[in-house]
Amino acid sequence: MTPVMAPAPLRRASRPPGSRRATALFAEGQSAIWLSGGAMLLAVAMIVGLVTLVLVNGLATFWPVPLVQVETARGERLLGEVARRETYRPALDASTVEGARGTAERRLLRTGNFELSGSHFHWVSDFEVVSESHPEWALVVERMAWGRFYGIPKAFLEDGEAVAASARRELAAIDARIAALERENDRHALLLETAGGEEKRLEPAEIVRAYPANRLSFADKLGVYASRAWEFLSDEPREANSEGGVFPALFGTVAMTLVMSLLVVPFGVLAALYLREYAKPGPVVSAVRIAVNNLAGVPSIVFGVFGLGFFCYFVGGELIDPHLFPARTADRNPTFGKGGILWASLTLALLTLPVVIVATEEALAAVPRSMREGSYACGASKWQTIRRIVLPRAMPGIITGMILAIARGAGEVAPLMLVGAVKLAPELPVDGEFPFVHPERSFMHLGFHVYDLAFQSQNSEAAKPMVYTTTLLLILVVVVLNLTATWIRARLRRRFDVGSL
Amino acid sequence: MPVAGPGTRARVFTGRTRPRRTRRSVRAAERVSRTFITIGGLGTIAAIAVMFVFLVVVVLPLGRAARVEPGAAAPLGRLPAPPVHLAVDEGARLAALALADGTLLVRALEGGTLVATSRPFGDPPPTAWAFAPAGDALAVGYRDGTVRIGRLRFEERVVAEGELPGALAGLRPGETRVHEGALAERGADGAVRLRRAEVLLEDPVALGAEVLLLDETSTTSGAALATLTADGTLRAAFVEKKRNLLTRKETLAVSEARLPYAKPPGVARPTALRVSETGDNLFLAWEDGRLVRYDLRDRANPVEAEVVDLVPDPAAALTRLHALIGRQTLVAGDASGAISGWFRVRPSDPARAGTRDGAYLARARRFPATGAAVTALASSTRSRMFAAGYADGSVRLFQMTSGAELASLPGGGAPVDALALAPKEDRLVAVSGGALHAWRLDPKHPEVTFRTLFLPVWYEGYEGPEHVWQSSSGSDAFEPKFGLVSLVFGTVKATVYSMLFAVPIALLAALFTSEFMHRRARATVKPTIEAMASLPSVVLGFLAGIVIAPAVQSRLAAVVACFYTFPIALLGGAHLWQLLPQRTAVRFAGWPRLLGVALALAVGIGAGALLGPLMERSLFGTPGTLEEWLGAHRGPDDRRGSAFGGWFLILLPLAALLVSVAVARGLKPALRRVSASWSRRRSALVDLAKLGGGLAATLAVGSLLAWLFTAVGLDPRGSVVDGYQQRNALVVGFVMGFAVIPIIYTLAEDALSSVPAHLRLGSLAAGATPWQTAWRIVVPTATSGLFSAVMVGLGRAVGETMIVLMATGNTPVLDWNLFNGFRTLAANLAVEMPEAPEGGTHYRVLFLAALTLFGMTFLVNTLAEAVRMRFRRRSFEL
Repeated sequence: MTPVMAPAPLRRASRPPGSRRATALFAEGQSAIWLSGGAMLLAVAMIVGLVTLVLVNGLATFWPVPLVQVETARGERLLGEVARRETYRPALDASTVEGARGTAERRLLRTGNFELSGSHFHWVSDFEVVSESHPEWALVVERMAWGRFYGIPKAFLEDGEAVAASARRELAAIDARIAALERENDRHALLLETAGGEEKRLEPAEIVRAYPANRLSFADKLGVYASRAWEFLSDEPREANSEGGVFPALFGTVAMTLVMSLLVVPFGVLAALYLREYAKPGPVVSAVRIAVNNLAGVPSIVFGVFGLGFFCYFVGGELIDPHLFPARTADRNPTFGKGGILWASLTLALLTLPVVIVATEEALAAVPRSMREGSYACGASKWQTIRRIVLPRAMPGIITGMILAIARGAGEVAPLMLVGAVKLAPELPVDGEFPFVHPERSFMHLGFHVYDLAFQSQNSEAAKPMVYTTTLLLILVVVVLNLTATWIRARLRRRFDVGSL
Repeated sequence: MPVAGPGTRARVFTGRTRPRRTRRSVRAAERVSRTFITIGGLGTIAAIAVMFVFLVVVVLPLGRAARVEPGAAAPLGRLPAPPVHLAVDEGARLAALALADGTLLVRALEGGTLVATSRPFGDPPPTAWAFAPAGDALAVGYRDGTVRIGRLRFEERVVAEGELPGALAGLRPGETRVHEGALAERGADGAVRLRRAEVLLEDPVALGAEVLLLDETSTTSGAALATLTADGTLRAAFVEKKRNLLTRKETLAVSEARLPYAKPPGVARPTALRVSETGDNLFLAWEDGRLVRYDLRDRANPVEAEVVDLVPDPAAALTRLHALIGRQTLVAGDASGAISGWFRVRPSDPARAGTRDGAYLARARRFPATGAAVTALASSTRSRMFAAGYADGSVRLFQMTSGAELASLPGGGAPVDALALAPKEDRLVAVSGGALHAWRLDPKHPEVTFRTLFLPVWYEGYEGPEHVWQSSSGSDAFEPKFGLVSLVFGTVKATVYSMLFAVPIALLAALFTSEFMHRRARATVKPTIEAMASLPSVVLGFLAGIVIAPAVQSRLAAVVACFYTFPIALLGGAHLWQLLPQRTAVRFAGWPRLLGVALALAVGIGAGALLGPLMERSLFGTPGTLEEWLGAHRGPDDRRGSAFGGWFLILLPLAALLVSVAVARGLKPALRRVSASWSRRRSALVDLAKLGGGLAATLAVGSLLAWLFTAVGLDPRGSVVDGYQQRNALVVGFVMGFAVIPIIYTLAEDALSSVPAHLRLGSLAAGATPWQTAWRIVVPTATSGLFSAVMVGLGRAVGETMIVLMATGNTPVLDWNLFNGFRTLAANLAVEMPEAPEGGTHYRVLFLAALTLFGMTFLVNTLAEAVRMRFRRRSFEL
């Protein structure tokens, strides 16, 4: 150890009393402490900020936003929701630029009406706006296709004839009317007028949901929010995944994770039991242990490559397909020889195997020797000791390992891209069609859904809120799994701690 | 084992006897469980091992040599005229041999049976021939000066069982029979296939006198023809097919340009005439190796672009000039048996080419002389493999990209007259010494060698040897480029930049948490940071690509400024804190101090946001913004503004280091001597002044250094900073921090916390401050633990896929530019693996990439594990 007090004791004696603090100030290392504290806070701020960002954006997705109608200097009239605002640097046209700084505010208006205008969004700079209003009866119509429609209702058509020439007064009951209309689809239609003055006839069948955004009370808004949230969780995606629900992805994630844990836990526990209880300890076992440990650090994409080559192409394409489906194989239409939920589960099982083995081994090692010896002393056999004494005590650790594996598996995307996750799977892996379970089918996955929405979507601006919400859902699934692990471990541990007292 | 021997009964003192024999069920369960667990356990571990083995097994064929098996030679009899061209059909059943007298001989490859003889080229026979290197296009020129474009086509037709002619009725599976100029064969699937070769010729085009040399290529706008006629005219003709809408009759519209040429002295006749794939270049080669290249881009006014000597050896004559698939690369064979590969290079600076059209022919490959003259060349129709036949009858197989000689087949002594590679690269056929030789061929993966994977390779059209990764393209004639180094570089770049960001933060945060925080606060902070690790990486990737990358781009100056304002704000906060009376400082060392740190952080962000634009305007005022200053990443021409601003920002940390060393060496000892008598407050004030002075000095030294560097003429652009792309290494480094920081933090914190308490207490008891204890006692003791934490974090960064995939442009470039993207091994696998056809070269190279990644992470993790074990042993000793 190096001496930490700088001045020599001899000189200290000659110094006036009360001056020792000067060295203490230097030795305190305040600067370094502040720097490391700053690093710690930065790390905390990063995670808190990120979670907040996802939470705020993800939860706000379904909240109905009031509609704005603006008239620009160019004579355009636009009706829509404000998606976001930003400061930008407009093209150099001195007459329109606000102030000397050369920047202006602009809003991104979601104007919908894609089949009429050819785009879903419009930028509106604040300096171009001539007038701005919030039309009371402006209607948001979510449709099966073509995205949203924004317009002001003009008339209800029944058998092609207007039954209410000025629909504004009737609109209070519009939701009920629409529900009723759906039963008589062909006879009824809704005539809407866009901000630009164009007219558009909408059949009730293509309307998913419609509401006058500027007339909604708080309770109404909550209703729309709940309805959209339920649709998100329970329905299939529409509009190239940018609208509708994520039920197939949620189902695919859960199903794949379930199959994966059914595969990984027994084998992981078996391997750990063998390594800890049956194998003769020595350099070989240590080497295997280190190798297994290190396998947890091998990138997941490598497992994906292996899964594609081994499970899909080799096992599926060369061992299963030619024998079970010779006709389809001859047509180069593989059944098991391509990505599917079974192969994805197997790949992820292999990926998470080290997690389970390591956790189980640690749990087995943590069982006190005295308990085993006591069991043997009572005449129990090795298997009886393991089954009755060791395994129950190790259970919290094993379950922790399992849930950690599940949490890791649920959040992995990279290997799934190779072994079976697709952007849109029309059929679920489990359905009413014989044989009811289809392990060869490709599936949708929440994580892959996020990737796909964020980067492959044509209408990426409209998909953005959905990405946030899907992200939030994915994080929730992972967090819930992690919390469950912690909770189960705590519960089991308490039980066995009491037992050992 | 507590299992007693059978049949023993013991008399217990209670008088009751009980069987001491273990029940049979227990013994059975014991045996079953042992077997089951052993098999299951070993099986599971074996399954893991299978993964590694499988990766290796898939990769291994890449290293295998090409296999050539000789087939039987079939005598052709006396040929009436020398052969001019040999072609093999897709199924490798037929060989079609065109002779100089206009005869087309079709023979079966197996056994050499004569299938058909015809004279499809008309009478009198052509005087000039041209065959496309890939595909079935051909052109022939005649004595009367006409040229006909056509195809040598192999037709394969399945004959329905009902329509089978009587002569073919008894055909057994596998048997072949000649039937009406076609080869009939009943395949393994029972269907009878008739295979024949035919020549289709279009209407003649008149182009002057007797055609001596000829080449043809079909372009999108029609055919481009080059002819050298007996009247001494070199022509480039463009033939367009026009269809009359009313009569539906096709007419040929010909436009031609005459090219001037001079016959070199002492040379009898030109050897070859070639046009490029798109018809924009024409090559005329003479016997002495002189090659004249004409630029035909302006069809009305062709230009002689350059003259190249294909054969530098004055004693050897050019014997063959052949084009490879895509007609970009020319292969020249000479009388000494040497072969060289040439292609056009268009340098970014046209003046450097030294030619009239800004491009030049470069000799990219040389294959050594064998002694016997090259008499035939044949190229593959699917890759850059080609075969050469020699005057001594030997045949060699080469690969242009890798420059490798794949096989060398000894010959019978008679020169090789014609040579062909089957379309599927499964046969090599030669006509030599009046016999048809066919070899079965399995080239394996000739385009991949150690050299093409890991060393710079001169690819077609490039200025020089480079590391390039470009695995696929829409065109068939594309040259695959498997330079793994550019992907490994991308991986290293991603790792370096993310570790530069994550390691200091994670280690400092761990130090603070373990040494300067209350145990209860630690219990909240640690799980919070650890929660970061459980965030799925796809979420991080999405936020990086969609939120953070645009945000960073729009506030680039502020973000850059934050890197400087953060530490300054924290240092400032610390120095202000020192002004507090000691009693207060000690009392507030917990939460209030943390609050102060948070405040300083906020000040740092605010200062960054405020100073960023200010800094941008003062340093990069010429182009306006930092992004504009960085330029568009197209080379030095795009750079605007002085290099000073960039140097200043880059050199500021160095200046800070210099100043702090100077202060520590020069000022501190002196200060310590005089300050011994100062009060705490006075010392703190002096310290604060020192900080201010140090900052000013740093700025001054920084500007001085930057001015110096600029004056010397150096520019930081082109090295670690250059043109800006929205998704870049800065964004990846930051977001990868979310994935790496928690891992390093957790392991480092564990290592620091597990330093025995008695060391800490001893140090404190000896009078050291908490900081001195932490820095001089705890950190050195935990060094190996900290190192292993960093290594594990490194392993994670190396293999991270989704963040990199979503937050970079995924372009494989070799530069350290912080503001440019890259392509890592992992992201490349995610992008290309689904498209790679199973078993192909690309597939196996991707497996090699996966194996490389596996090896890199396994190595790093094993190192970390070894260090951790040593650390554990050492900490037990303490």
